[in-house]
Amino acid sequence: MLEIRRISNSRWWHKKKSWVFLGIFLFLFFVRISKGSFYKDFYYFISRPFWPGQFQKEVILESINQESLIRLNLLKKDNIRLREILSLQESSNDDNISAAVISRKTGSWWRQILLNKGSRDGVEIGSIVIGPGGLLGRVKNTSLFTSSVTLITSPESKLGVWLERIQIHGLLVGLGDDYPSLILYSKDADIKVGDFVSSSPASTLLPPNIPIGIVQSIDDSLNSKKRVKISLLAKPQAIDWVQIVKVNI
Amino acid sequence: MNKFFKKKLSIICFIFIPIIFLWHPNWLGFLGVQPYWPLFWLLPWSMINGSFNGLIFGLFLGLILDSLTIDNNFTQIPGLILCGILFGRIKLHSDVLVGHFRYGLICSLGTFLCGTLYFLQILFKNSLESNFLLFIPSFKNILAEVFLTGFFAPFICSQLLRMFKFSSRKS
Repeated sequence: MLEIRRISNSRWWHKKKSWVFLGIFLFLFFVRISKGSFYKDFYYFISRPFWPGQFQKEVILESINQESLIRLNLLKKDNIRLREILSLQESSNDDNISAAVISRKTGSWWRQILLNKGSRDGVEIGSIVIGPGGLLGRVKNTSLFTSSVTLITSPESKLGVWLERIQIHGLLVGLGDDYPSLILYSKDADIKVGDFVSSSPASTLLPPNIPIGIVQSIDDSLNSKKRVKISLLAKPQAIDWVQIVKVNI
Repeated sequence: MNKFFKKKLSIICFIFIPIIFLWHPNWLGFLGVQPYWPLFWLLPWSMINGSFNGLIFGLFLGLILDSLTIDNNFTQIPGLILCGILFGRIKLHSDVLVGHFRYGLICSLGTFLCGTLYFLQILFKNSLESNFLLFIPSFKNILAEVFLTGFFAPFICSQLLRMFKFSSRKS
């Protein structure tokens, strides 16, 4: 009897071509399942230079930026002139010292940062420290080469602040977490989530109008006051370079 | 020179505690909280040298660490002294594995003690203040510190203990 035996090479899985087809099939199946998202994203990148209005948009944005800058400078000049007339406290950019953060304690019990500029560089106790975004804290003590800064999140920190929209003063108290608490000694204050908090023009510790944070939540449960949670604009846990501003009181 | 380093290894490690405390490596932290570094050194030191040495070096550590923090109202000295005394009373265990886990547990308890004493100081100072809102952040600090110190202690303490024993035997 003649036995029909298959030659092993003739099996489909032994052919390279079959695997290539299977691969293509699986890829197309993936494309189908993902509703073509792969293609769409690819198209997004290759068509990007040809989008309509892109160039025009950049030109407009640049003009707006320039206009804002000019307006800001004019307002700054105006502000300085008016402050001189009213003989209010002011801060000048000439007194700023740039410093790097060399040690950072933004969790745990201690909320402090250590800067690489000290009394040798003219840093004074009580100077304020500003990072990208706004106020970070005040210099508590200095050594020859370093200065220690108490962050505004520290329980040691208590500052007078100003709410621009409702024109009211409040007390910003650090709680030892990342969100200091603003205490308003007025139950009727019309404060809203998203309100902007800056340093108080009447403060003797800080120069006026330094951005601090934004209202995150409001606690109305107390009888005679409102307690507000503030989200800081300057994040001490992420900032590496700061400005030390001398306060002229 | 090499002999000097071997002999004074424990003191050299002691000098590095404030540096690690200042360094505050965030990648080792949890919820922004760090392990309580001084206990990693104090436990092996006290276990080898006894309660009295533990007390003295607890005081020294407290003094140095207090000088590095700008919080003038509160101190870490009582907690560290107490831990120094307690750790000095612990005897070395023959079973290595039990020893490892024991370090974690002891350091956790020590951290809890130090954290609680620190918190009590804050509580005492602010007892008359109506705006006292520090309860939740303080509990978070204590719990995270206890967890982290307990987690790292078996690795660090057992190594330090081995090194200190080795250096004291050579001398």
